Amino acid sequence: MLQNELFNNVLQDFNTGYWELYKDPYREIWSKKFYKTLGYSSNTIQPDIDYFLTHLIHKEDLDIFRDNFISYRLNNINFKQYIKILNVENKYQLFRCSTNDELPVNIKSEINFIFFFEVKLEPDQAIIKDNFYYKETAQMTSTGSWYVDFHKKESYWDFETYKILEYPDDYKPSLKDSANYYSEDCRQLAADCFFNCAMSGIPFNTEIKMVTLNNREFWARAIGKPMYNENKEIIGVRGVFQDIDDQKRKEIRLQKSVDIIAAQNSRLFNFAHIVSHNLRSHTSNLSLLVQLIEDINDPKEKEELIKEVKTISSNLNTTIEHLNEIVTIQTNNKQKKIPVKFKESLELVTSGISQIINNNNSQIRTDFSELEEINYIPAYLESILLNLITNAIKYKHPDRDPVIDIKTYLKDKSQFLKVSDNGRGIDMSLFKDKIFGMYKTFHYNKDAVGIGLFLTKNQVESMGGSITVESQVDKGTSFIIEF
Amino acid sequence: MSHLIDVACIIDDDTIYINLVKRIIESKHLCKNLLIFENGKNALSFFEAILNNPKKENIPEIIFLDLNMPIMDGWEFLANFIRIKNNFGKTITLYIVSSSINPLDIKKAKSISDVKDYLIKPVTIKELESIFSIH
Repeated sequence: MLQNELFNNVLQDFNTGYWELYKDPYREIWSKKFYKTLGYSSNTIQPDIDYFLTHLIHKEDLDIFRDNFISYRLNNINFKQYIKILNVENKYQLFRCSTNDELPVNIKSEINFIFFFEVKLEPDQAIIKDNFYYKETAQMTSTGSWYVDFHKKESYWDFETYKILEYPDDYKPSLKDSANYYSEDCRQLAADCFFNCAMSGIPFNTEIKMVTLNNREFWARAIGKPMYNENKEIIGVRGVFQDIDDQKRKEIRLQKSVDIIAAQNSRLFNFAHIVSHNLRSHTSNLSLLVQLIEDINDPKEKEELIKEVKTISSNLNTTIEHLNEIVTIQTNNKQKKIPVKFKESLELVTSGISQIINNNNSQIRTDFSELEEINYIPAYLESILLNLITNAIKYKHPDRDPVIDIKTYLKDKSQFLKVSDNGRGIDMSLFKDKIFGMYKTFHYNKDAVGIGLFLTKNQVESMGGSITVESQVDKGTSFIIEF
Repeated sequence: MSHLIDVACIIDDDTIYINLVKRIIESKHLCKNLLIFENGKNALSFFEAILNNPKKENIPEIIFLDLNMPIMDGWEFLANFIRIKNNFGKTITLYIVSSSINPLDIKKAKSISDVKDYLIKPVTIKELESIFSIH
């Protein structure tokens, strides 16, 4: 039943015993070489898996071989394993067992093989050596293995699992405690993986956050597969934990930098758009003006029009100054952050605009008790406070004097600044998306929403924070900054 | 010299632009009356107010609409204006005049059938003359 000549030759070259696995009905055909190596003849033994498992294989290797065999039979999962088989002289002989993936890549087989390569080493020696390699591998890759036995209702860990999870050697692992091995947000995932594996035999391979006995959280790769008995019932789950904390943290850091770069890129793109648009409105006016000057014959009128050039040029200058300010934000965020006291920062700002504050009968109330200072670029904090305060005064309610409440607080480990006013408010349904935008008119219309909030948003975001706004028409507006 | 049309309307927040266009219209005698609004909201309020009592001499034949304006931008004005546009008993032709060269804006404008054309600033005197003369 070999596929072709080439295939035949390969098997010859292997010079080794093998089984051919057939379906309908399930049966195995043992090769002549297999009999010969062990010294049996075909009529002294019964060549099937049940006989092999009961009489020939060493009981130490029985469970693992049976699981491997069933997985290979049912799901084509290849395996490699050392096993000891009883020979005709009643002595155990060591074999390295492997499956179709041992075949050279260019050879495709329609049927499943199991090959038995004879290992010439003394069995004991080989096991010691194996054990050494296994421990070495486990330690070097920080991979611990574990087994949950459903019949004995017991869990087993190897030495490396104890080490990874930082439990003492005399600790008895148990399914009941297993939630403690995972961080709270990953317990559901752990339970789902295990349940699906135990009930439906679905193997798992996932990244999960685990917790050691000393409460240290780390990222692990958890792999598990079901174990079967001879009746193909699941009798346990076996698997490994690999400590991948370093890689995972690098990956998370990398993702964070990607996010920062994406945000910066989008700000730059936005900026390019603003530059293009704001400069264009001036240059197009200039071009229209030139057309008009050329078109008009009256020298007096011409002279009058030339005066317009002055207006356009001064507007252009203002725009470029504003654009410069934005560019400065993008480069300034590398400036050093130092502890800044809100009270001191505010005093600087209010003394600078004391005239505006007094002329409008403005009242500023502060509460910095929950958070007195933050690490920030002092100039930014001043600029943010300045913009929000002048904004509150500029858009005061026509019927009342402005009252501005400035408060700092902590929430969910984050630092916040809230500036609220009793001004005329903003219709959020109309202007929600435009509040922080940069209007075309900002450069010469004194009453329009200016460049202020646009700058504030850019400053806050360039420092990794965010700004939001809540407002009700006729009631007032609150700006909330998360640092 | 006779005027090409009676009433034109400019909705734009750029005062310099408005002054320049005004001068061109005056010197070329392109129209008799010019309505000027500095944002979409003011313009919309005007049109809504005269809706119940439209006098032909108040209604512009041409509207030049800017896109980027405070309070109410050109898009929002357009969305509201299209609904009442046909109730004035007069054909109103709408042009968008913007300094935006964003292809998305241009595509969006051209997809609206009520918009006759999209003019990118700066407009030229010739362009203005030809727009007024085809009416």
